[in-house]
Amino acid sequence: MKTTIFKLMLSVSKINKTHLQIIWAVLALTMLVLGAGAPEDVGGIGIRR
Amino acid sequence: MILLTALLGGGIVGWGVARWQGRIWLPPVLNMPSLVVLGFLPQFFVFYIPATRNLVPDRVASICLVLSQVILLVFSWQNRDLTGMPWLMAGLACNLTAILANRGFMPLPFETAARLIPHDILDTLTIGARLSKSSKDILLPEAMIWLPWLADRFTLPSFFSYRIAFSLGDMGISLGAFFILAKGRITSPVLISGDLS
Repeated sequence: MKTTIFKLMLSVSKINKTHLQIIWAVLALTMLVLGAGAPEDVGGIGIRR
Repeated sequence: MILLTALLGGGIVGWGVARWQGRIWLPPVLNMPSLVVLGFLPQFFVFYIPATRNLVPDRVASICLVLSQVILLVFSWQNRDLTGMPWLMAGLACNLTAILANRGFMPLPFETAARLIPHDILDTLTIGARLSKSSKDILLPEAMIWLPWLADRFTLPSFFSYRIAFSLGDMGISLGAFFILAKGRITSPVLISGDLS
């Protein structure tokens, strides 16, 4: 348990400002394309109700 | 799916090229990023969240869609200097024009729908109505569509099992999104210790 928490804290401490900038920019671009586009995505299972 | 695939493809290409050149790939710096959140939120609640989209009348949904796309167009204009953004902006303008000209939703020609949707489901859909609460499209016969070349009239080749209808605007948006991430923000080459060149 202690090891797991330690590993988790180590992973979190490796997230720096650059990682957050990347995540934010990709998230913003994802929101932009999803909001701007209007494809009818039927997929493979039919229309979602 | 087509839009997210373009975004993912652009990211992979940008990262691959940067790595090949010994540089670090970073996504571009965006101006006024809060505008994109403000622009997307109405659509998020009206089309994406099942609990809220079922409560919203179609008229309100169409107003939210138009308002949202206008805000996203302003955001794109604020970032027009980015590689690919003019493509994305042109695509967004095409989609917004088609939506404004056709009752506030993206028109899906009946003829295109017939190629995508099984006939037993198609028979239950109403002409002039939205396909579902999660859809930005209304079903219209080709003859009733204003600016039909801007409608969701294109489909993937038949050998793809994935079924999707998209517009000229969606193609512009996908192309723009691809180039924005493929170009990214290239940093200086990474110097290895002892490399003085």
